[in-house]
Amino acid sequence: MSEPVYAVEDLVIDLYTPSVSVRAVDRVSFAINAGETLAVVGESGSGKTVMTLGPLGLMPEGVTIDLRGSARAAGKDLVKMSPKKLSSLRGGQFGVIFQDPMSALNPMLKIGPQLAEQARRFAGLSPAAARAAAVSLLARTGIPDPEDRYDRYPHELSGGMLQRAMIALALAARPRVLIADEPTTALDATVQAQILALLRQIQNEDGIAVALITHDIGAVSVLADRVIVLYAGRIAEEGSAIDVLTSPVHPYTRGLLASVPDFRSDTASGTREIPGLPPDQTRVLPGCRFADRCPQAEASCRTKRPVLTCVGGNEVPHRAACPIVIRDEGLADND
Amino acid sequence: MRFARLPWLVLTPALIFVFVGVFAPLLMTHDPAVQDYTAILQGPSTAHWLGTDYLGRDLWSRIVGGARTSLVAMAFVLVAALVIGVVIGSVAGYVGGLVETVLISLIDIALALPSLVIALALMGVFSGENFDWLSDYWKMVLALTLAWWANYARMSRAVVVAELQQPYIEAARVMGASHLWIFTRHILPHVLGLVVVYASADAGALVLAIATLSFLGLGVAPPTPEWGQMLVDGMSYIEEYPNLVIIPGLALTAVVVSFNLLGEAFALQKVPRALRGRLLGRKRAERKAEDQARVSVEGQA
Amino acid sequence: MTDSDASDPRPRDKAANSGPAIEVEGLKVHFRTSAGLVRAVDGVDLAVQNGAFHGIVGESGCGKTTLARAIVGLQSATAGHVRILGRDRADWQRANRKGFARSVQFIFQDPLGSMSRRQSVLQTLEEPLRIHGIGNAAARRRKVGELLDLVSLPASVLDRLPRSLSGGQRQRVSIARALALDPRVLLCDEPLSALDVSVRAQIVNLFARLQDQLGLTIVIVAHDLAIVREVCSAVTVMYLGRVAEEGAARPFFADPTHPYSQALLSAVPSPDPRVEATRVPVLLEGDPPSPLNPPAGCRFSTRCPVVIEACRVTEPQLRAVQHGGRSACHLADTSGHPIL
Repeated sequence: MSEPVYAVEDLVIDLYTPSVSVRAVDRVSFAINAGETLAVVGESGSGKTVMTLGPLGLMPEGVTIDLRGSARAAGKDLVKMSPKKLSSLRGGQFGVIFQDPMSALNPMLKIGPQLAEQARRFAGLSPAAARAAAVSLLARTGIPDPEDRYDRYPHELSGGMLQRAMIALALAARPRVLIADEPTTALDATVQAQILALLRQIQNEDGIAVALITHDIGAVSVLADRVIVLYAGRIAEEGSAIDVLTSPVHPYTRGLLASVPDFRSDTASGTREIPGLPPDQTRVLPGCRFADRCPQAEASCRTKRPVLTCVGGNEVPHRAACPIVIRDEGLADND
Repeated sequence: MRFARLPWLVLTPALIFVFVGVFAPLLMTHDPAVQDYTAILQGPSTAHWLGTDYLGRDLWSRIVGGARTSLVAMAFVLVAALVIGVVIGSVAGYVGGLVETVLISLIDIALALPSLVIALALMGVFSGENFDWLSDYWKMVLALTLAWWANYARMSRAVVVAELQQPYIEAARVMGASHLWIFTRHILPHVLGLVVVYASADAGALVLAIATLSFLGLGVAPPTPEWGQMLVDGMSYIEEYPNLVIIPGLALTAVVVSFNLLGEAFALQKVPRALRGRLLGRKRAERKAEDQARVSVEGQA
Repeated sequence: MTDSDASDPRPRDKAANSGPAIEVEGLKVHFRTSAGLVRAVDGVDLAVQNGAFHGIVGESGCGKTTLARAIVGLQSATAGHVRILGRDRADWQRANRKGFARSVQFIFQDPLGSMSRRQSVLQTLEEPLRIHGIGNAAARRRKVGELLDLVSLPASVLDRLPRSLSGGQRQRVSIARALALDPRVLLCDEPLSALDVSVRAQIVNLFARLQDQLGLTIVIVAHDLAIVREVCSAVTVMYLGRVAEEGAARPFFADPTHPYSQALLSAVPSPDPRVEATRVPVLLEGDPPSPLNPPAGCRFSTRCPVVIEACRVTEPQLRAVQHGGRSACHLADTSGHPIL
């Protein structure tokens, strides 16, 4: 396999604000290859956004971020890069879609010129070519009458159209990685389905890598090839989407999936809940972060940090960080 | 409330002024009104710490007495203006409709002119015969109050309107709360929170206004010690005895600056600051120690 | 929370059919805005049975929240009537505001916003009791303790401010507050949308348990169909200010007849990628039209994949369909074959 387009190794991220210090990401490694969709799944505070966007220098203001480990894209180490270089690399290599389109689009500028500017700066197009590229991007993202919409301001577009315009903006620089941070959370079911279909279509056509950051299992099931399940800043389980979603191993993944009702199944399996709350991120105690909420926790869970262990999978190894389940169910896969 | 988080350094100058004003009778070494023709225009000495003025009155005692005069007048005006402002602003914001329109017009008119100009005009009105039953002092307090309430009314209305839009007000309504309950339990605390903070910064401007009126011969009448008057009295001797102007001038400046500092500190409290320097270093060290402790446990297991 | 809640996810309709708790008749809520007249709710009839767990679903802008707010009088109606527990809502509220509040409570979408940021959890939970002058300090404190037990919160949250609680805890506090007056009818506006998946499950189970324990009538406004199917005994689907379809939950979900209901259901992805791979969703074109200017005829006609000429001319009325409920579609005949 060729070199991954975005790879992170042994990443540790500490966040500091005047009131709290948080270990947001705790020794995490992952890689995204061209042409695949990697879903990063976790609940609020699990570190999924920080892990993906933090190495790119995209962090909220007023937060001091300490980053250790390595993060590579386009053959360069992002951790050691100056903010200015990082910003230009990010513009050319990464496209980001946020939950709120207005956070990406400038409300004072027309939609089209914002796209053209992006295409001109990072894809090196002439002004005329950039304009043409912008119009075709609007058309590609399913915005009707793109010539007319080119000259519209963001506030003149409906919510679903804005979401599409933001996707177009993210694609304008012809990035190699598209990062979608909760792209559908704020959308209605029917619009959500449209946007997910659009993302899938883009990936099929362009073969770019997509990182989908979400807590919506449905969206993962629609789009993802591979899944990383994050809990309290650590990877609980990873593998192909089929493996993780249909035969989860880690008790957290199992709990998470059981709490998602599937209304096509007639068994009405019921909405199971995971008791308790995610751990206090300001203190990192020894052992497994899920131990306090885990029905299968043993004494050793509170002293030994579980390591990701292979439990199967074909091309994509399926790995889980729970020695208890692996031992009890005889899942260890040592080939 | 928020005082707890204020640096004491900022609070101190304003507190000194209040302290001097409250305990003035104990701090005065002489009766500030007593004239002593044997000791006219003296420099500082052990008998007269800051010297004496052209009537032989003790300057220190007059400064201290002036602080008390300013403090008392300021307190009267602030409390009255605050009450009037909060009542008018709250009624405007809560009732809405025509009442609000009328009251807002009134507030706008009052805000259109500088407070001091309004106060001066009112002093002119009060100088008529119909107001003979009022002493000059109370005329000044009344005039300043009527010139000062509008800002508080405007602010109170803004807070009331903003709070009324908060979902928790609807929640209280759903619980069956009466308007009186909602206003007194939920809205008034927010109004007072903001208005009192503003008043703390406004106090300096008010002290200055009181001095200005007295300087113009409109406010406090002699022989009550007052800084504005001391400035006027000292003007004639400014070349030979600049102390007579400099000392009350400095006192006035110090009070205005100290209240402004206080207001500024309140305002800056809300601005978030990024973590830097030593505090960040300490947090990093804590983190590292925690990591090491964890590794040692996990290593043994 | 116990396991027994989780293992009993069946829709609860045991107390249903003992008469309607809420009857809405021809309700219209129109807003005058600078852009024109917004017809947020435009002629809705609705009956919620006593003891039902009734879900109102639809996309943003369909008027579901406005409908719920109008039912409790947070929004004044332009036309129509609301009867709750057999009494006219407007008359009841006018005559006895506190009595109404003791019978009908409302839970807001944003639990944090619906609590005063200055009040501790204890003060928040005591407030309804104090407003109604219920009990002395000790009795109130006891009641607060019971409420905490009811929603499974530890007593340690009492002196904390809402801001410092987690999303799930905040929603529990807001539910506890709504239950403080022992209401018989509870309306909830999107109580789950601000919560994480696993916490959502906790709150859903809490609602289900509370209904069992307290025999409440619960109306829940939601856009998450899967959750509605889990807990609700009856469903109303709204589109652009009107009811598109309604019925008992189980038959409705098995056999929805309105093309909009079908599209809405088919848009929900399956958490199982194997199912997902074979699923063919009905992708609707575009966004819902603006309630400023609803289309003529059937309001769904501009996006409907099976639209016929009559749809653009005549507005379909709700009529009985196979699953036992009613559907506002010209093509939804009583033989019950799915249109799509």
